[in-house]
Amino acid sequence: MYGIADLDNCYVSCERVFRPDLKGVPCVVLSNNDGCVVARSNEAKAMGIKEGIPYFQLAQQFPNQKIAVFSSNYELYGELTGRVVSIISKETPAYFRYSIDECFMYLDGIELDKLQQWGENLHKRVKKEVGMPISIGLAPNKTLAKIASRLAKKFEAYRHCCMIDNDYKRERALAWCPIEDVWGIGRRYGAKLQSLGVRTAFDFAQHHKDWVRQTFNNINIVRTWQELNGEDVVPNEVLAKKKSICTSRSFNGMISDFDSLKTHVSNYAARCAEKLRQQGTVASSVGVFLNTNAFREDLAQYWNYQEQRLLTPSSSTITIIQTASEVLHKIYRQGYQYKKAGVIVLGIGPDSPIQQDLFDIQAEQFQKMRRLDEVVDRINRMHGSETIVLGSQQYISKEAMSRAAIEREQGQAGTNDAEHRQARPKFKAEVFANAIKHDFKSPCATTRWSDIIKIK
Amino acid sequence: MGNIKIRRGVFDTPLELEHASVVAGFPSPADDYRHETLDFNRDYIRHPEASFYGDVEGDSMKNAGIFDGDRVIIDRAVEPHNGSIVVAWWNGEFTMKYLDLTHKKDGYIELRPANDDFPVFRVDQVDQFEIWGVVIHLIRTFETL
Repeated sequence: MYGIADLDNCYVSCERVFRPDLKGVPCVVLSNNDGCVVARSNEAKAMGIKEGIPYFQLAQQFPNQKIAVFSSNYELYGELTGRVVSIISKETPAYFRYSIDECFMYLDGIELDKLQQWGENLHKRVKKEVGMPISIGLAPNKTLAKIASRLAKKFEAYRHCCMIDNDYKRERALAWCPIEDVWGIGRRYGAKLQSLGVRTAFDFAQHHKDWVRQTFNNINIVRTWQELNGEDVVPNEVLAKKKSICTSRSFNGMISDFDSLKTHVSNYAARCAEKLRQQGTVASSVGVFLNTNAFREDLAQYWNYQEQRLLTPSSSTITIIQTASEVLHKIYRQGYQYKKAGVIVLGIGPDSPIQQDLFDIQAEQFQKMRRLDEVVDRINRMHGSETIVLGSQQYISKEAMSRAAIEREQGQAGTNDAEHRQARPKFKAEVFANAIKHDFKSPCATTRWSDIIKIK
Repeated sequence: MGNIKIRRGVFDTPLELEHASVVAGFPSPADDYRHETLDFNRDYIRHPEASFYGDVEGDSMKNAGIFDGDRVIIDRAVEPHNGSIVVAWWNGEFTMKYLDLTHKKDGYIELRPANDDFPVFRVDQVDQFEIWGVVIHLIRTFETL
């Protein structure tokens, strides 16, 4: 048997862990830069708040209503959901984390007649210990398990755990499930099936396999059909360490100057280096991409991606920032309005005996950089991340920007380029966390000492 | 002998090679007496997924030896009993008090401070009240880290 554990309204549930007063209150979480609604509580859904509505429309559409609004706090969500996965890892023979809020579980070894109770207990344990609700679906394959978890979420009578273990239950579940909600079908194939008169998962499963094959000529759709009919054919993912780590963000507004881009890219690179060190690995290449806003057809479009190999695999913040900056320099073109950039570290391997490349820095310097990273990591862990950053990671603060603008207006003649560049660092005061717009961000109560809960 | 231990962690599955055996030469006689180092996290945090930290503000638990500025470790997996020091959500904030269940069958419970200058809270409606977790450890730092 398979199971899937699905965190109900994941981001909202994370926010509520430290805000018990928001039980029963409509809550939403906004996307990066507070753009639009990406997560809603059941109360917010019931009010008719649609996913994706821009934040500024919220107050217009729902005047005089109490809605709790949060900026997204992925640091918090990542940590809390990690706790849930950790509990699952202790309760299941094997598991595979599928996304931030979904985790597949392989349940062979737990007796069939005990599974329902097992699932209900898992829900209770996660609810009590982490404070977040989960819905559990149990079935002979992953596609049916997904449908079961939707039922568990929708109907309270299941007590947060729905098991599909016979044909009667399977057919009733399929008849309830709209075709576009089936795992692996999605909106595009869903629309096509609708047009062919297939409304529910049951309608689809009733068709002949040859019909499915001829209509779609797609192995995955055929597999979905087989699973809806009870077979177990979708391949299991292998548990593996990530082979690459990517950090990227859309900017708040658009950016065209190289220095600002470089600051962003330095921060993404630093984040990648930190993640590498956290999992005890090193990367052998660094890639950087940047692109303009594809939705702004009125503007000139450009995107590029390039990689550079490191001489020695590394997890050093300095090395990865330097390399990323070099790559950015290569792909940057003046005259475009950039919307997004990102850093990818690839060729990840264990951080054990790294072979020193003849042309790379000496072992002594390597050791020094490693010690530096250790000290920086420790300080940032104790005193909050970004307590110490490299100079290239600092943003120019808004005040400094306006001060610089005034100085320019006053026409301070005689400032040549070199002096100007020298004068710049003292204006740089902002760190990454403040460069993204998040006016309603909650404290990082599980990842920063400065943010832990206050108790009277 | 080399002892391979597969530890299933939160985010990954590191393969640890502990006590790797000597390749050649005379084995160390201390190997037989090898024991794992005491580890606070391992031995004192029984439910890592359910454990949270909090900072104490104010002296309402002074007589229990908990002072302003102390840091506490809260375990949500532990079942609170009569006399537990609990962290509760009450009146829009987290508060730490002794849990008094004496009057539970009369329909209310009490949160008792360990300081005569503070009032006892009587809780008889559940809407704005929740026992959030049980305090299991206190951390007080005497030297700067």
